[in-house]
Amino acid sequence: MKYDLVVGLETHVELLTKTKIFCSCANKFGSEPNTNCCPVCLGFPGTLPKLNREVVNFAIKAAIALNCEVNLLSKMDRKNYVYPDLSKAYQISQFYEPICKNGYIMLDSGKKIRINHIHMEEDAAKLVYKNGDTYVDYNRGGVPLLEVVTEPDISSSDEAREYIEKLQMIMRYIGVSDCRMQEGSIKCDVNVSVKPEGSDKLGTRTEIKNMNSVTFMTKAIDYERDRHIDLIESGEKVVQQTMRYIEATNSTESMRSKEDAQDYRYFRDPDLVDIILTNEEIEKIKKTLPELPDSRFKRYVNDLEISEKDAALLVKYKNVSDYFENASVNLKIPKTVANFIVGQIFRTIETEAEKEKFEILTTPEQLNEMVGLIESGKLTMNLAKKAFSKMLESGKPVTEFVSESDMQGIPPEEIEKMCKEAIESNPNAVKDYLSGKEKALKALLGSVMRQTRGRGNAGEIEEKLKELIK
Amino acid sequence: MDLGKRGAIKKINKLLTDKEISCKELTNRYIEEIEKSDLNAYVIMCEDNALKSAEKVDKKISLGEKIGVLEGIPMTLKDNISTTGIETKCCSKILEGYKPIYNATAWELLQNKGAVLLGKTNMDEFAMGSACENSCMGRAKNPHDKSRVTGGSSGGGAAAVSGNLAAYALGSDTGGSIRQPASFCGIVGLKPTYGSVSRYGLIAYASSFDQIGPIAQTAEDAAIIFDAICGHDSKDSTSVKIEGGPSYNEINNSIKGLKIGIPKEYYDGVNEEVKSSIEKAMKVYESLGAKIEYFSLPEVKYSLPVYYILVCAEAASNLARFDGVRYGYRTENYKDINEMMCKTRSEGFGAEVKRRILLGNYVLSSGYYDAYYKKAQDLRKVIANAFNGAFEKFDVFLTPTSPFTAFEAGKEYGSPTEIYLADICTAPVNTVGIPGISVPCGFDSKNLPIGMQILGAKFSEAKLLNVAHQYEIATNYENNKCLETGVRL
Amino acid sequence: MISREEVLNLANLSKLYLDEEEIENIRKEMDSMINFANEINSLDAKCEKLPEINNISNAFREDEIVESYPQEEILKNVDGGREGFFYIKKSN
Repeated sequence: MKYDLVVGLETHVELLTKTKIFCSCANKFGSEPNTNCCPVCLGFPGTLPKLNREVVNFAIKAAIALNCEVNLLSKMDRKNYVYPDLSKAYQISQFYEPICKNGYIMLDSGKKIRINHIHMEEDAAKLVYKNGDTYVDYNRGGVPLLEVVTEPDISSSDEAREYIEKLQMIMRYIGVSDCRMQEGSIKCDVNVSVKPEGSDKLGTRTEIKNMNSVTFMTKAIDYERDRHIDLIESGEKVVQQTMRYIEATNSTESMRSKEDAQDYRYFRDPDLVDIILTNEEIEKIKKTLPELPDSRFKRYVNDLEISEKDAALLVKYKNVSDYFENASVNLKIPKTVANFIVGQIFRTIETEAEKEKFEILTTPEQLNEMVGLIESGKLTMNLAKKAFSKMLESGKPVTEFVSESDMQGIPPEEIEKMCKEAIESNPNAVKDYLSGKEKALKALLGSVMRQTRGRGNAGEIEEKLKELIK
Repeated sequence: MDLGKRGAIKKINKLLTDKEISCKELTNRYIEEIEKSDLNAYVIMCEDNALKSAEKVDKKISLGEKIGVLEGIPMTLKDNISTTGIETKCCSKILEGYKPIYNATAWELLQNKGAVLLGKTNMDEFAMGSACENSCMGRAKNPHDKSRVTGGSSGGGAAAVSGNLAAYALGSDTGGSIRQPASFCGIVGLKPTYGSVSRYGLIAYASSFDQIGPIAQTAEDAAIIFDAICGHDSKDSTSVKIEGGPSYNEINNSIKGLKIGIPKEYYDGVNEEVKSSIEKAMKVYESLGAKIEYFSLPEVKYSLPVYYILVCAEAASNLARFDGVRYGYRTENYKDINEMMCKTRSEGFGAEVKRRILLGNYVLSSGYYDAYYKKAQDLRKVIANAFNGAFEKFDVFLTPTSPFTAFEAGKEYGSPTEIYLADICTAPVNTVGIPGISVPCGFDSKNLPIGMQILGAKFSEAKLLNVAHQYEIATNYENNKCLETGVRL
Repeated sequence: MISREEVLNLANLSKLYLDEEEIENIRKEMDSMINFANEINSLDAKCEKLPEINNISNAFREDEIVESYPQEEILKNVDGGREGFFYIKKSN
């Protein structure tokens, strides 16, 4: 029998606010233990939380970017469970009235992965185990998170990967999170089930907790799918339970079954008050959002005639895309800039992390200047490519690497003379061209270009040749 | 000089400014009396801090500087109000040795006004009780009759003020914990409107019910203290900006034409002596030009179970953090983290606290949430709506504070809910979020104090203090009887 | 009466250990408490349009850093902790 895979994702995105969600301690990664702490995030008796307005703003930004509705009235709830990583023994979250609902991310195929809701919550502290002893560092406790919860719309591990990558891309664009999996600033819980192909009835699901690598997430999904199918095929039942993925063996193991599922006893946090938003506020925030990657991609392909492949590479990281935008200012053919980025800059960058940072010596203004010279016919493409390599190494402007005479170009009368000479010395080529062989003109063009030692503008020369032959 | 009459605060202020006694001398006298006393009102003393604060005040006076009305006044805080460096343990073993690293806002405000903190006072563990008998420090005794309870949970503070072991106290009131002990001990207790005094630093019992308020000898004193501690606090999201000036400026207003509603349901099952004492007070009010009218408020009957469901739910969550990891008590022997937490909590909490945590988790747990927690939350709104409607007709309500006077200590209860009925007159106020004040209005045949309760709409503290003060003046303070114990100046 | 299993489940949620005697007592006590709570069933709650009790909204804090507490202060109530951490020995 054939089976359909059904996957839903709950993704936790750590926010880039300056402070924690309910106190004024710094939201900072990598500090000495318990140094970004105060009585509030330590949950000392009698302390009270106070909601960071920026977290609400970030949630609204995420809502808009993920095509969600913003709930004009939302509330904070307590999720109760006792463990040393929760200083208050409850996590402040949103259960009954989350801040955003009903959105989607569109995959390249055009398929929509629906988002059920997005809610705000606080992160738990970090536990370190040494020789079985437990050490608790509350620096991460109270760091703001958005949890983005999809409908079970994902039907392959590739779709899951694409969804996560798109989510990461969008969050980075709107500046709410750096979404670094290695640093744990994005994590996801994966709900997996299978059902007979085409069936409407969902199968029993299992949840794989805390995936912090896209690669392992896709492996875990595939493993879990196969495990479910094997169970069903051998007449056994899938047990609803929470799983942990073991990287070393590429397999999953049970953390707890449904019977001892946690009863979180959610209720409205009486220490916090209703969040009431207005459409005006939301509109105001909407105006601060940058152009989103999907829209940029479409513009690059449709208006700037950049290939889909290159456009995808450009929009993947906001820094790259922003660099492209800045380097293209006032140019006639931005595609030239795209070619330099994809063709030359990317060759100097090895890792995705470096691409994300996109810290290169040449400024967008310098690239803009160079392409400007090309467009005005002062610099040939060949020379520009050579110069650009040196620019990238040194951070110096194009004028450091091409001489005045290189940029002078060749006077039109000189070009005309060279063209006439080429026509006279290649009568066969002229004949061929006149009889309709377009290619024959290339031979004449090559001859003239050699004469100019590469400084000539091929387009102009071609026009000149055509004009003279007629 | 009689400290029990016409309040303590302005009198002490006069003694200090007239240099009849130095603040240090006065503070030392309180400390001596507290040490001599067997009321068990205090659970921890802070003599050194108190004397240091007193010396500062004396220096100011000796330099001829003017001092504020609360400056140099010796006072106490309930053991659930956080004080930096001074043990604050809610009279629970689980917080043994816990010294906060920050101050509660209400205390910070008083400290900035030069208050002299003598120590922390006894209470029912985590404020769960109506007799001050659920304390890990033993029960506090009623200064009017030591064999009887002080009421609770702010029993220590009430005993201290009534027994002249402090000029005033701050207590907390979740369902009557300021008003009921004030009534049992023959003094004044004000539970302010929810949100008018910051809860920051008050160790939470039930967050949507708790309020800090003054326990004082007179309504005038209560007004002075309330004005000093109320106001918006940016650290407390539920705190409110109050409009209008100090309530003290209103206490002398005439109450001619005041409409006093008497909600009949509050008088069901109330002790006859208590009832007749309040009826006498009604006569006093009529003589002052107020109009008395009986009416029915049937929703009151449901407010007690609604109250218990909701406070237990909030308490179960609020008290879950006491796990032995970050402060307070941690069990000696355990085999893993879960056992460490469970044993710490089982050994650290008393029986009543455990019961309320269990009930709280019951009403929140899956399968029961809708039937109990959600339903109670809805009913809370219904009750509030009924009260708000009645306040459109009446300026204030007059009710008993407690159906009975102070009872014998060590009473055995047939069931845990028997004592819950002690809160029947006080809990609705917290359920609805309005202010209430308990004012002494007489004595029963055993010479035990009787308290009456004046209730008003939200943020009507000034009106309540005014109405209470006018009664005290009209009766020449005869019910604010001063005891012959403690500091007699 | 509330079952033994339910009491044990509540004890587990509450992180409390109850010995045999306590379990039986709690069953009785919980029963009286639940009966007490059941009184609310005799009243209808029609309140959809009623406002929250404490109808305050939008208490926000600006996203500005205030210096955190020194690590020694944070760890003061656990005798300084261990290596800057709160510390729980495996067993004791």
